[in-house]
Order: sequence, then C-alpha cells, then structure tokens
Amino acid sequence: MHIADGYLSPQTVIVSFAVATPLWIYAFKRLKSELNEETIPMIGALSALSFVIMMFNIPIPGGTSGHAVGATLIAILINPWIAFISVSLVLLIQAVIFGDGGISALAVNSLSMGFVASFSGYYLFLLLKKYKFAPFIAGYLSLVAASFFVGLVLGIQPLFWSEDGRPLYFPFGLNISVPMMVGAHLLFGIAEGTFTQLIYMLMHKSEERVYEV
Amino acid sequence: MKYKIFMILGTLVLLVPLGLLSDSPAWGEWESEYYMKILGFIPKGIADAKGIKPLLPDYSLGSSHPVLWYYVSALLGAGLIYIIMLMLSKIGTKNAK
Repeated sequence: MHIADGYLSPQTVIVSFAVATPLWIYAFKRLKSELNEETIPMIGALSALSFVIMMFNIPIPGGTSGHAVGATLIAILINPWIAFISVSLVLLIQAVIFGDGGISALAVNSLSMGFVASFSGYYLFLLLKKYKFAPFIAGYLSLVAASFFVGLVLGIQPLFWSEDGRPLYFPFGLNISVPMMVGAHLLFGIAEGTFTQLIYMLMHKSEERVYEV
Repeated sequence: MKYKIFMILGTLVLLVPLGLLSDSPAWGEWESEYYMKILGFIPKGIADAKGIKPLLPDYSLGSSHPVLWYYVSALLGAGLIYIIMLMLSKIGTKNAK
C-alpha cells in the first residue's frame, strides 16, 4: 500500500498535504493530552511495533505480497489520533531511510494506512466491542478500508492526468486499481486482524479503558 | 503492561527474517521495468520520479547478507521510531506545562 514517488500527479500531492497537515497538527496536540508515565513508552513501543510488523511480507497467489500495518491496534489501545501520528512517523522513516513509499506520497500514505485505518478500526471496535473478536474484525476491515482509499487515489490518476492517451502517473484506472487493491487486502486483512486480536489479548486491555476520541 | 509490549516487540524483531520469504512486490509497487513489459512504456511521472537516496534501500545494502541487513533495518527503524516518539512526547509534555 506504499505509494512511491512519481505515482501521483502534483495536484494530488498538493491536495493530500493540504488535507493531512492540519490533521497532523491536531493529532500532535492530542498526543500531548494522552501522555503520562505509562503511555509515553507504550506509544513509542507500539509505533516501533507497527514498523516491524510491516516488515513481515506475506505472499498471496498472483505474484503479490503485502503486510499488516498495526494502526487499529494503536487506535484501540491508545487513541486513533495517536495511531495516525504513529503510523505517519513510521511511513516517514520508511520513506527516508528505506526508500519504502515516496516522500511526495507521504500524505496519501499517511491518510490511508494512518488516518483511514486508525479511525475505521477504532469505530468498528467501539461498535463491536462486546464481542470477543471485535479486534480481529476491526483490524480486518480497517485494512480493507485503507486499501479502498489507496485504490481510489491511484485509480483517478490516469482519469485526470494523461497525455495523448498515455497516462503520466499511475497508469491503471479505477476499474483495475480498486478491485486489485481491495481484493488483495481481503487476504492481508486476515494478518491485520490476527495481529490486532492477538496483541490486544496479550495486553489484557479491559473494555472500560477505551479512550474517547 | 509496559514490559509486555517490549517482549512482543523483541519477539517480532527476532522473527523478522520471515518477512524475506516473499520476494514478490506488493500490487502497485513495481519496478519501472514492469510498466515497460505491461504497457510498452513507462509513464512519464514514474520515469522522471526523483526521490531522495535512501540509506538502506529496500531494507538492505547490496545483495549480500539479506538476513543480516533485515535485522539491522528492523533494529534501526524500530529504535529510531521509538526515540523520535519519546522526543515528540517530551516536547508535548513541556509545552503542556
């Protein structure tokens, strides 16, 4: 789901940073209000965990591979705004140090794997929290939601930005990008769901302590 | 609950070479040659893309010792992210006071 440099039109890049920047600022403010002696190392460790879990590439049929993200876990253990800022930091480090995902795509990548995944996962979890498998379902669907968003952003590129019938940026339209992204993540979602459920249970988080947004 | 998350993190770092078992790229994360093969051309934006030169491209340095570099990458990335998050938290708490 890491979009690389050159895949998005400059217009997409500008709009995405215009949308993401105020959200990052607000999330940073929220970070302050969530901090105490217990949460500071937890937030650091969960962010590091998100980085490491993304390194577990899982192959699926069709010559593709993918990975879990860990956004929903942070969202339900701490808060979705914190999850958004944690995953954004992970994506920044991946782009700068490891060349995984583009710098110009940082805002889109943060919005998909950070914002969309964290908030969809968080609200699904709240909705389902009386059920034992709420973390699994929330994690699963959050990844599918994020992949749908990525499919949309990629798919509109050839629609708006082509020259002489040749796409300038990502070349495949919505009819391909959305089903391919969502289809693959219907499988990778299992990894995200399992990861979320397992770590959530290991952390023995009691239901009452779900933070308000 | 604090120590537990570090145990989990440590376990996953130890297991991280498992992530190397798949050498297929993610959908939409292909090399430029892929577009040449499928479309017969490389979209201009992708061909002209100027990124920065990463320190450890694709979590490795050269093609030898992939497991070692994957471990280095995992430790470096996880360590950096942990430290930056603590620093952000420090700034946050300072401003709050």
